[in-house]
Parts: sequence; structure tokens; C-alpha cells
Amino acid sequence: MPLLQTREVTVRFGGVTALQSVSLSADPGTVTGLIGPNGAGKTTLFNVITGLQAPAAGRVLMDGQDVTDLPVHRRARLGMARTFQRLELFGSLTVEENVRTAADIRQLWSRDRADVARMTDAVIARVGLRQYAHSPAHTLPTGLARLTELARALATAPRLLLLDEPGSGLDGAESEEFGRLLGALAAEGTAVLLVEHDMDLVMQACSQIHVLDFGVHLTSGTPDEIRADSRVQRAYLGEADAVPTGARA
Amino acid sequence: MGEFIGLTIAGLSLGAIYAIAASGLVVTYTTSGVFNFAHGAVGMIMAFVYWQLRVQDHWSAPAALGLSLLVIAPAIGLLLEAVLIRRLNVNDTGMTLIVTVAVMVALMGVAFTIWPPTIGRLLPQFFGPNGHVSIDGELISYEELISIGLAVATALGLRLFFHNTRIGVAMRGVVDDRQLMAMNGRSPQFLNALSWMIGAAFGALAGILTASTYTLDVLTLTLLVLNSFAAAMLGRLRNLPLTFLGAIVLGLANAYMTGYLRLTGWLVELRPVLPTLFLFIVLVALPAVRLRAGTAAVSKAIRVPGARASLVNGAVLVAVAAIAAPFIHGIALGNVNEGAALGIGALSIVLLSGYGGQMSLAQYAFFGLGAWLFGETGHGGNPLGLLAAAGAGAVLGALVALPALRLRRLEFALSTLAFGTLAWYMFLSQPQIIGLGDVNIPRLHLPGLSLQNDRVNLVFLAVVFALLSAGVLAIRRSRYGRILIAARDSEAACATLGLNLRLTKILLFALASAIATFGGAIYGSTQLIVTSNDFQYVSSLFIVLIVYVWGISTPGGALAGGMSLALAPLVEAHVPARFQALTYFFTGLGALTILTHPEGVIPLITERLRLLNPLAAYRSRQTRQVRVANEQLLTTVEVRRATPADA
Repeated sequence: MPLLQTREVTVRFGGVTALQSVSLSADPGTVTGLIGPNGAGKTTLFNVITGLQAPAAGRVLMDGQDVTDLPVHRRARLGMARTFQRLELFGSLTVEENVRTAADIRQLWSRDRADVARMTDAVIARVGLRQYAHSPAHTLPTGLARLTELARALATAPRLLLLDEPGSGLDGAESEEFGRLLGALAAEGTAVLLVEHDMDLVMQACSQIHVLDFGVHLTSGTPDEIRADSRVQRAYLGEADAVPTGARA
Repeated sequence: MGEFIGLTIAGLSLGAIYAIAASGLVVTYTTSGVFNFAHGAVGMIMAFVYWQLRVQDHWSAPAALGLSLLVIAPAIGLLLEAVLIRRLNVNDTGMTLIVTVAVMVALMGVAFTIWPPTIGRLLPQFFGPNGHVSIDGELISYEELISIGLAVATALGLRLFFHNTRIGVAMRGVVDDRQLMAMNGRSPQFLNALSWMIGAAFGALAGILTASTYTLDVLTLTLLVLNSFAAAMLGRLRNLPLTFLGAIVLGLANAYMTGYLRLTGWLVELRPVLPTLFLFIVLVALPAVRLRAGTAAVSKAIRVPGARASLVNGAVLVAVAAIAAPFIHGIALGNVNEGAALGIGALSIVLLSGYGGQMSLAQYAFFGLGAWLFGETGHGGNPLGLLAAAGAGAVLGALVALPALRLRRLEFALSTLAFGTLAWYMFLSQPQIIGLGDVNIPRLHLPGLSLQNDRVNLVFLAVVFALLSAGVLAIRRSRYGRILIAARDSEAACATLGLNLRLTKILLFALASAIATFGGAIYGSTQLIVTSNDFQYVSSLFIVLIVYVWGISTPGGALAGGMSLALAPLVEAHVPARFQALTYFFTGLGALTILTHPEGVIPLITERLRLLNPLAAYRSRQTRQVRVANEQLLTTVEVRRATPADA
């Protein structure tokens, strides 16, 4: 059974339909991509999943349990964690304190009595932030700030990880390293849902990709299938520039 | 029937003034995202300017109105926006509130100085004393009808402006996404400035109408902002039709209450608190807001002393108090004692606002409650009275916070102000509680130590402050303290990590209220005699403002804040009476330093002193160099990725 399912999720902002009956799922042990042009509704869907946005219609299921009406913190306690497109760091704390606070919060609601300090160190080392551990978070450049958000999410030992453009600010080598990290997380059984504009990273890390366009679920498939789909090309490049399937190798 | 018509017209007229004032608030808030606490003060200044032109300089009413409403008021709005408002981060609710409160205080100082309240002033009615019509035997003044007509014109005009003009639509859109608006060729700064000009003009119109119909008084006109935002809150500061509805309901309720209800006893106070009561009910009844991402406010990290350092600092403070006490005499000794007691209570603001990011504008209500409770339970100065006060404060704080926690930070702050106002009128000023007369409070009595001597009491207050500061700092260093800071920086992120924000905030509010009532009890024990005027609700604005300026995140800020308030009268005594009110002006002006140093004066000085140590200065330079290197690296990477040749 998928860990996460959205069923027919619709969101309207006044007269604008941001999401129209979007259904998708994410399985444990996989990295699932969620792509689409700017304004496609990717972040809005993340907000619906985590409870920051109420859908006009549709349901969100975690482990088969309907969580649509649960508040944000109760969903997190089911094992959901996320990063944000617009950074939501604890700017006046250091990197280490950001991560440690997340571990502290987890210890408040979980029965896990693991050593918070050790867990914090391990997570910081894993994302490669050890040398920045004592830097105030508000002084970090974007790439490192995004890694800090990832580390903070990981400190809650999530089963479902929602990453909103984590690759922006990373250079090519860092991006590859980041892809390997996502693969390792998936190998440990975490379900990762990845919103990303860096197509190299998406194609490298994801086994399944969903495409949104103007709030509509356009298609889904493996990276190869998505790469070859003319509808996806049209969504990204526009009707006039669309290239027939297979023409761009 | 005639009475009913008369009351209805009077209610509609009052509601119309509220509606005009509230429209100005809504226009500025909707566009700039900043709640203008100085809105009433701008109206007040303009009412006095109008009086100056009309009465002193004998201008005709249309000319005086034209210059006031179309030139001077918009110029003030433009000046405020250009100099202050555009430098604010709208996500930092505390900062936006404090800056506009500072403007309010400064404008009050200007008004008190130019137009001293010792001289009575009357604004002539637009059509003289005979300007009225008779309906069913009831005299209805033209002023009342004009107010209603102007409110209708305002409603229609704003509706047309916001929905039928390109610039009006842009003003509605700018607060949602400033960048998007800028990309569409509209300057957000221009739209902001325009909204502040329009808002100031509406504030001026409401001020002049109030002065012409009711009274020309600095405080009444300044606090018109409370009545107008009560109306505006019905539309959550964004919806003009609901704002007008709220204003009319308020105006009518006031008129009918005056005309039909024969209130006695403590219910007499219902009339002056009606807008506040309305505000409190609206705030409590409003649907809970959903958390939003993208509203993280970054505060500058402030060095937190360790346990040892905080105890050493406390010991130094006690030593200074012990050495200085014998040299302080007369009235000054009483003022210094008062300042220390206020400083203890103000530690609640450090915890609540400095660490928790929540603004409470009701701290004096808790001080008053603490003083009263100590008087009631601390017979003979029994220390258990302090515990009773703190316990009651914790329970009351949690109860007040319970319904209000579903609100945004700004709404929460305003609800505490409403609570503070209600508490003063309906509770503290009642004769059976504290009232306007003197109430004796016993001096705290500790076994084996007499505190009757004010010098001994001062040293004792220093000990209490030092211990409580160490406790507050210990909370800051604890897991709970880190979580408070995290929730202050981003509530959305905390919730997505599994934090129950309501419980966290209730605990915070209970703790802070316990400290505030404890401080109030100490204040009562120090002063020995209190009246309800010692706990005026407006004072809550002043103490938050002053503590913010000294350093909202440091216990030193609380002590300096308390001392500033208590010692100000000593300074004023040396200033000629004509210029005493300039302390308001300079307080407000000085408070604007938080724009450049939001961390406050004390952390700024502490940091400068720390950098005198060569090792600390070296480390600071290193950190700065690493940051600059990081930024350069990032820029290089982004440029490289954006270069087509690399693609």
C-alpha cells in the first residue's frame, strides 16, 4: 500500500483553481518526483498534504488513514516532514540548534528516547553540514540553508519526506551528491516526494515522476517515459516550441 | 418614536466616524501589511491643525478642511511611509507594532507641547449652534448628518476605487505578492505610499469630525484607533463592507445603551468599554487562522549568557544596588525602588515577546492584579501572597491565551490590549477592587529580615531581579527556550516538525503572566499605596515600547525599561512645564532606533564592549569573512549555472 495518497484534491483561491482533482501516491523506499512549470500547483499540493492548506475537495491519506482534517502537527507525528520552497529556517538559531530543536520536538511527541545530541550530530554529518554547525542559520547561503532544512526534517526520523526545490543553490557536484543522499534515504525505506526544477537531479534520483500543469495532473511515469512525453514538453516549452517525441535525444 | 429616531441618528453618526477612521486603517493594512497604531494620533494631530487654522488663524471651514485633508494629512502619511514603514519587515509583527506605537507616542508629545491640555479648546460646529433639523421633536445636528453622508460617500468611493480602477486593484494585490506586482510594472513602494496618504486623510477626517461633534482632546482622539480597529476587526482588517457593518453596530449599540439602559454599579463602565468589549468578542469569535508558510521573520541572534555568567551578572547587580543605595535619597529612592519593581514585572515581556515573539499589551493589568492580590492575601506582608499572585496570574494568563491563540500575532496582540482595557475599567478601577482612591498594600515581610527600610528593600529587589533573570535565562537555554525561539522564527516549520503550538503558547503565556503578577505584587509591596491609575491600560503600550528599545531579548532590557519609566518624572521635574511633554516626543523618536538596531540598545552596547576583547574581535572577523566567502561562492555557482555555455 502507498504510504501517501492524495485523492481528487482540488484547491481554489477565489476564482482561480490552483489544483484540479489531483491524485497521486508515494511508496515507501522510493523517490517520487513532482514536476511542472512555475505555478503548476506543486507547492500548493505540498501544503495540502502537510495541512497548511485546506483543500476545497479531495482527501489526503497516510498509511490508508484519512488525515485531511488533522492539524499540521498531528500529521507530522504520523511521520511526515518537509522542507519549504521559501525558506522557513529558525534564523536566529545556529545550524546545530535548528536540527537539535527538531530532534527535541520529536522527543516531546515520540516514545523514542534516543540521545538527541548524538542524533543531531549524525544528521548534520550526513548532509555534510558539520563545518557550518555553529553558523547562525540566517547567515547561510541558499544551498546550505536548504540542506539545513533537510537536516531538520531528517531529525524527526520521517517516513515521508516532502522536499520542495531542495536542489536550488547547489552546484553540479553537490547536486549529484544530493541525489545519492536521496537514494540512500529511499533505500532505508523512506518515501521521498521531490519537487525540483533541476531535471538532471529529478531524472537521476526518481523512480516515478508525476507532472502537474496549471493545477492538473498531466501524466506520470518513469523518468524515460516522462522525458519522451510530448505533453510534458509542451507544458514546459509551450505549444509552438514543442518537439515531437524522441526528437530531442 | 422621536427618541428612537434621535438615538438612531446619533448612533449612525458615531458609527460613521468609526467607519471613516476604520477605512483608513484597512486601506493601509491591506496594502502595506502594517497595522498603524498611530492612526488615531494622526487624526488627533490633524484635528488640532484644523483647529489652529479655523479658530486661531480664522480660515474658512472649506479652506481649512481642504488644506488639512488634501495636503497636510497625505503629506504626513507619505512621510511616515517613506521614512519608516518601507523599512519594516511586515512579517515581524512586534517590530511593526512597536514602530507605529513609537510614532503615536511622539505625535502625542508634539500635540501636548504645541497645544497644552491646560487650555480648553472648542472646535466650532460647521453650521454653528443653530445648524440642525427637527425630526419628530428630536433635534438632529447637521454635523451628525454630514458624518453619515461622508461615511456613505467613503464606502461608495472606496468600492469604486478598489474594484474599478487599475491602481485600486493593484493596491489590493500588492500585499499578496509584492514581487509579482513589481514584475507587472507597479511599484509596490508607490502603492504603499499612496495607501498611507489615503489612510492618513481618512484618519484626519475622522479626527476632525470627532473633534467637531464631541471633543478636542489628545488622548480621546489618539485612542480613536482602538474604536476603529474594533470595527475593522470584524472584517479581519481587510474587508471594508464588514468594517462598515462593525462600525455601524458599534455606533448604534453605544447610542441605544446610552438612551435606554440605566446602568448602575460596575456596569456603568460598560459604555466606555463597549468598543473594546466588541473587539474582544469579535477576536474570540473569529475563526481560527490556518498556519501559513512564507512568513518566517528572521531576528538577529543574541548571545545568551551561560548559567555562571548570569549568576555573576546578578551578583554584580546586587553589589551595585548595595553600594549605591546609601547614596540615594528622598523621592529618588522611591523612584528607583519603583523602577526595580517594574523591571521584575517587565521580565515577563522578555520571556513572552523577546523569546516567544508574542506581543502582550496587557502587562499592567497583570501588574494591577498582582498588587491587589498581594494586598488581599499577603496579610502582614506574608510571602505566600507573592505565590498566590503568581499562581493566579498563571491561571488567568492561560485562560486569556486560550481563545486568543487561534489568532494571528497581530490579532493576538490587539486582543490582549482589549483584555487590558476591559480589566482596567471593569475590574481594577472598581472601588471594591482598587478604584481611584488610595489602597494600602503591606510591605513584604521575610522571616528575620525587615524590608521596611527602602534601601534594604532596594537591595532585596536587586536580589529578586537577579534570581528571576537567571531563571528566565535558564528557560532560554533550555530545550523549551530553543523551541520558543524556533516558534518565534517560524510557526509553520515548528508545526510541520510535530510541535503543538497551542500548548507551547499557553505554557508561555501562563509563565509570563505569573512573572507579571509576581512583579505586580512586588510593585505593590514596594509602593505601599496604589491606585488604579498606577495600572492604566495605556501604560502597557509604554512599557513594551521601552523594553523593546532597551532590548526585548535580554533581562537588562527589562530592568532598564522599568527604570526609564520610573525615573522619567525625575527628569521631567527639571524641564520647564511648557516642554515636559517633549519627553513623549523624544521617547517616541528614540524608540525608532529599533529600526536600525532591532536587538535593542543593551545588546548593542554589550556586543561593542565584547569586541574590545581582541580574541572576540578576531573570531567575529573570521565569521564575517566565512559568510562573505559563502556568498561569493554561491554567486559564482549561480552565475556558472545560468551561463548557456555551461548548459
